[in-house]
Amino acid sequence: MTSKTTVKLLLASGLASLMLMSPALAENMLRVSYSEDPKTADGQMTTDAYTLPLNIFDRLVESETTGPGESALVPGLAETWDVSEDGLTYTFHLRQGVKFHDGAVLTADDVVYTFDRMLNPATKALNTDILTFIAGAEDRLDGTADSVSGLKALDDHTVQITLAQPYAAFLALLAAPGASIYNRAFTEAAGDQFGLTPETTNGTGPFILRDYTLNDSQMLEANEDYWRGRPKLDRLLVRVVSDSETLRMLFESDEIDVLDLDYAPTQTPYFYGSDQWKDQIRSGPRVGIYYYNINQLKKPFDDVRVRKAFQIAIDRQTILDKNFYGKGKLEDGVIPRGLTCYAPAEPIEYNPAKARELLAEAGYPDGVEINLQQVSSWSTKWSDMNQIIQAQVAEAGFKANIVTTDEAAFLDARKAGEAEAYTQVWSADFNDPDNFFYTFFSESGSKTRGYNNDDPEVFAGIEKARGMVDQEERCKLYQDLTARIVGEDAAWVPLFSLDHSYVVQPRVKNFVVPWNGWSDMNYFNVEVE
Amino acid sequence: MLMFALRRILVSIPVLIGITLILFIMLNVVPGDPVALMMKEHASPEVIERVRAQMHLDDPLVVRYLSFLWNALQGDLGNSIKLNRPVTDLLLKAFPNTLMLAVCAALVSWVIGIPAGILSAVRRDSLLDRFFMGFSLLGVSMPVFWSALLLQYVFAMQLKLLPVSGFYGWEYMVLPAIVLGWSSAGVSARLTRSSLLEVMRHDYIRTARAKGLRETGVITRHALKNALIPVVTIMAIQVSGLLSGAVITEAIFSIPGVGRITVNAISSRDMPLLQGAVLFATVLVILGNLVADILYSVLDPRIRSQMKKDA
Repeated sequence: MTSKTTVKLLLASGLASLMLMSPALAENMLRVSYSEDPKTADGQMTTDAYTLPLNIFDRLVESETTGPGESALVPGLAETWDVSEDGLTYTFHLRQGVKFHDGAVLTADDVVYTFDRMLNPATKALNTDILTFIAGAEDRLDGTADSVSGLKALDDHTVQITLAQPYAAFLALLAAPGASIYNRAFTEAAGDQFGLTPETTNGTGPFILRDYTLNDSQMLEANEDYWRGRPKLDRLLVRVVSDSETLRMLFESDEIDVLDLDYAPTQTPYFYGSDQWKDQIRSGPRVGIYYYNINQLKKPFDDVRVRKAFQIAIDRQTILDKNFYGKGKLEDGVIPRGLTCYAPAEPIEYNPAKARELLAEAGYPDGVEINLQQVSSWSTKWSDMNQIIQAQVAEAGFKANIVTTDEAAFLDARKAGEAEAYTQVWSADFNDPDNFFYTFFSESGSKTRGYNNDDPEVFAGIEKARGMVDQEERCKLYQDLTARIVGEDAAWVPLFSLDHSYVVQPRVKNFVVPWNGWSDMNYFNVEVE
Repeated sequence: MLMFALRRILVSIPVLIGITLILFIMLNVVPGDPVALMMKEHASPEVIERVRAQMHLDDPLVVRYLSFLWNALQGDLGNSIKLNRPVTDLLLKAFPNTLMLAVCAALVSWVIGIPAGILSAVRRDSLLDRFFMGFSLLGVSMPVFWSALLLQYVFAMQLKLLPVSGFYGWEYMVLPAIVLGWSSAGVSARLTRSSLLEVMRHDYIRTARAKGLRETGVITRHALKNALIPVVTIMAIQVSGLLSGAVITEAIFSIPGVGRITVNAISSRDMPLLQGAVLFATVLVILGNLVADILYSVLDPRIRSQMKKDA
C-alpha cells in the first residue's frame, strides 16, 4: 500500500467515524435526552413519559404555550367543536384530509375507536382517568358493556361525546397526551404491540418513529405530509441517559443539543455562572407546586394548631434560595401560578416564635417529636430539603426525625393511612384546578394521598366545582376552598413553584419552555441551524 | 467428560428451581406494589386497583409461582410489568450488548493482566514489578464509577478522542471496556504473579534449569503451563460475572444491556423481568463454572483422571 492510499484511507475512516459520532452535523437533527426509557409511544399505556405521544400523535384539541407559564386550548384534529348548554354534549368537527403516517385518512370512527380502546378492559390502559366522565365509560371498564354509550360517530367527520355529568375540565383533559388519536385498522392489527416498535406505531403527528432501541434511544423522522406543514427538523434523536454527570459531559462535548437541568440539578450554578453557557439558558415557570404533605391521622398533626405551627415554622424563601438557587416563587395556595383560576392566596408568614406559642397552646410547651419521611430512590433534592426543614422547624420546637424507606414501602404505608409527613411536587397534567383539588382533597384523594383531611364541606365543594359551567363562579369557589384548606385547616403546606431551566446549544432556535414546565414536549416548532 | 458435563447440568436444575423459589418469596415479602410504582404519583388508586387485577397480581402466591414455573418450562418467562414486552425478548435483545462489553473487557483484562503478572513475577521486586502491582491495585480498588468519570473526562472531554457515552459503534466500546477490564486486570495480574512465583519454587523448574534450558523456555514451557491453571479458572468465572451485567458501567456509558434491565426491574418491582434476569444470570454463572471445570481438566491431567473416576 502506498503512503498516499494509507493517508486517504485514514482520512476516509476518520470522516466516517466523525459522521457516526456527530450525526447532527450531517443533517438537520435535534438531539435531546431523558433519564428513563419511555417504554412505549402509546399514550394510553404510560403515565409518565409523554415525549413520544406528543410528537408522533395529535389530539382533538391541543394545549399550546402562549407565553411563559401560559397556555390556551387550540384546535387540533378537531377544527371546531360545540358544547351543549347543559355542558353534557360535546360535538367535534374533524379536520378534513388529515393522514396517518401509513397514508390512511382520519375519520370520526378512528376517534370513537381510540377512546373505546382506552376504556376496553382488554387494553389494560393506564390513563383511563381521562375518559371516565363519558356516559357509559364505567360500564365499559367493568366489562358489563361492549361499547361506550356516550361515544358516537355522527358521520365521517363528526364525533359526539356525551358526558355522564357536566365536567368543566373535559376539554383540557382531551389535550392530555393520553388522549392521542389512533387509526382503527392499524391499531387493531398491531394488538398489544402497538406503540412498542416503529413497525407497530402509526399516528398523525409531526414526527414518525423510525427506530426504537430500548434503554438507548429513539429516532424520529419528519412527517412530510403533516397537516400543519412539515416540521423544521429532519430528525429528532431522543437518547436515554440515566447518569447526570454523563449527561453534562455529553452536552459539553456537543453530543446533545438540549440539557434539561431537571436531570442535572446540581449543575445549575455552573451553567448560570458560565460565560459560555449563561446566555444559552432557556427558563420558564413551571405550573407545579412543591408542598409538604401532613397526615392528620398521625399525632401531633391531628391538631390544627400544630399544623399551623408547622406551616409557619418553615422558612421557604431560604430553601428556595439555598437549595434551588432562587429560581422560583413562593406559593401560598393549592394551585400554582400559571394555572386557570390562579389568584394569590393569603401569604403564609415565617414566624418561629408564633409557631412555638401555637405548640404550647396545643399542649406541647416543651416541643413535640415528628417524623419526616423520605424515599431512598427519589432525587437527593428531597433529602436536602428535609434536612434544612428539620433544622428550621427545630427553632419552633419540632424535634423532627428523618425516616428513610424505599418507594414501595412508602406507598404501602400511605395506602394504610400511616404515612409520615413528606415533601413532594405536583405538576399540572392539564390546565384546570380540578387536577390539584380533586387529587389531594376530594373524599378519595385526601385518603389515598395520605392527608386524611376529613372535611365534608371541602369534599362537597370540590364535587360541585367539577360540574360548574360559569367559570367566574367556579374560580371563586376554588379560592374559597383554598382559604379553608390552607388558611383555616392548615391541611396543606404550600412551599413554592420552581422555574424549569434548560441549556441549549447555540444552533438550537425557537426552543420554548412548555407552559406546564414539563420535560416532555412537542418539538414541532424547534429548529436547528 | 461428556458424562461429567451432563451430570453437572442435571445437578444445576434443582439449583435453578431453588433460586426462582427464593427470589419469588423474597420479592413477595418485601413491600411494594409494582403497579403503583409503575404508574407513579399521577394515577388514581381506582385505576391502580383495576390494573393490578388485570395483571393477575391479586392471585394467590402459590398459583402465581406455579404458573410462572409452568410457563418458564415452556420457555415463556412472561411479560415485563413495566415495559410490557416479553421478558425473553428483552433479555435476548440486551444480551448481545452485554456480551460485547464483557468480551472486550475480558480481552482488556487478559491482555493487560496476564503479561503484567508474568513480567512482575519474572522481575520480582523490581521497579517494573512495583509499577504493575501498583497499577493493578489501583484497578481493583478504584470504584468503576470513579474510573469511568476520570476516563470520560480525560479522553472524551479534554482530548476529544472518544465519545462520552452511548452505543453506536466500536469507538463507543473503548472506554467502558477499559474501565471494566482494568478492574479485573488487577485480579488477573496478581493471580498470575503469585501463581507463577509459587510454581517457580517447584523442583521440576530447578531440574529444567539444571538441564540448561534457557530462562524463557523454562518460564513459557514449564512454569506458565502450570501457573495459568488457577488463572484460567478465574477467567471463566470472571466472564460469567461480566455477562450477568456490569450494572454501573452500563448505566454510566448508557449501554442498553442486561445489567440496566436488572436494576430497573429491582427498583420497579417488576417481578417477571427480575425473575427472568436472575434466572438468566444463574444459568450464565453455572455455565461459567462448568466451563472453568472443563478447562481445568483439559489443562490438568490429574483432575481429568479424577473426573473419569467420578463419572
